[in-house]
Amino acid sequence: MEEPKVELDDLEVNQERLKQNTNQLKNLRVYGSLNAGMIAGILGMDGWIGMGIYVVVFLIVSACLAIKMNFRVKEYFKSSYDAYYSGIGTDLLLFLMIWVIFHNIVNIL
Amino acid sequence: MSDILIDDRIRDWVFLPIIIVMFMIQMFRGLLTKYMDNKKTTQKVTSKAQVGEMIDKNITQQSQRLARLHGLLPDHSFKMKRAHLCDNKSGILTKASEKPAKDPMQSMSMMNPAAMADMLKQNLSGIVFMAVQYQWVSYFFSGFVIGKVPFPLTQKFRSMLQRGVDVQNLDVRYISSISIYFVLLFGGLQKIQQLMFGDDNDEFVDDTQMQMQMQMMGMPTMPSFGQQNDPGKLFIAERTRLEGVKHSFELNKSQDKAIKSLKRFLIQ
Repeated sequence: MEEPKVELDDLEVNQERLKQNTNQLKNLRVYGSLNAGMIAGILGMDGWIGMGIYVVVFLIVSACLAIKMNFRVKEYFKSSYDAYYSGIGTDLLLFLMIWVIFHNIVNIL
Repeated sequence: MSDILIDDRIRDWVFLPIIIVMFMIQMFRGLLTKYMDNKKTTQKVTSKAQVGEMIDKNITQQSQRLARLHGLLPDHSFKMKRAHLCDNKSGILTKASEKPAKDPMQSMSMMNPAAMADMLKQNLSGIVFMAVQYQWVSYFFSGFVIGKVPFPLTQKFRSMLQRGVDVQNLDVRYISSISIYFVLLFGGLQKIQQLMFGDDNDEFVDDTQMQMQMQMMGMPTMPSFGQQNDPGKLFIAERTRLEGVKHSFELNKSQDKAIKSLKRFLIQ
């Protein structure tokens, strides 16, 4: 994470740092959904429980992010909604893909 | 439905090869776009129509920038810039909005060979790979069941997921090889590729992903300039937006903001 920047108003927020932070967050979320897919696939979860694993891992990633930031969200991102909850749907297809692949390799084939 | 036992050899010779090959092709495409990007030189603006389009684009950029960053200018400076653009008689936006609506054929600027070559290259690196992979998978690996999806699906997905397998009562969960192709395609091999290639490729890969989605939805990819059929309306809209801007110079508020931020630092 980049050093904290003071957030005052909309004009001062647009900095390279915010962009880098959001890129890091995106990478983190991809790793998180990869791991979630592997967990769901290897353990052989079925149906809606698998989706539950995805949400649980997503929340765990957000919690680790919060601990790393020392709970001072405003200094790193625009809002806590942005940092914790906003991108939950974007990596869903990636999770599905990894889940299908690992489920097939480990359990069926 | 009783469980189907799938031969080990299917995993060795079908499942894993499809995944590995698609992944390799995706990486190759990334390298290819990187290479082509390096080779691309800036195009010269040659024809008169193109010069006109560039002028229009610059005018819109200028007015949008003014509308967005008006807080950085003091009062008289902002008023002068706004008058330069929006004056009733001699403003640039008013003059530009009186231009006639362009022919849709002309405004596509397909005549420009450099733009066409660019579009062809982008199409090449997108659709051709997809088509080749689809043909390969459906030719070599059709007609048998390859795996099982972990979640229950309705009967409507049967035609998509079990192409080539004509057993009527088979559980929709059992999928054929073309469906693993679709899963990999939509699932985002691009994201994994992004992870591997690093940060400097991010914006470009997003563009190709967006373009791929646009192509798949059936919309034609248009070049980013010269696509307005009626520039007059665009300029009128820009002008009304500029005239409605409530301007306040940010420096006037700077004392209050400084007090606020100092308080936050001191209290922590």
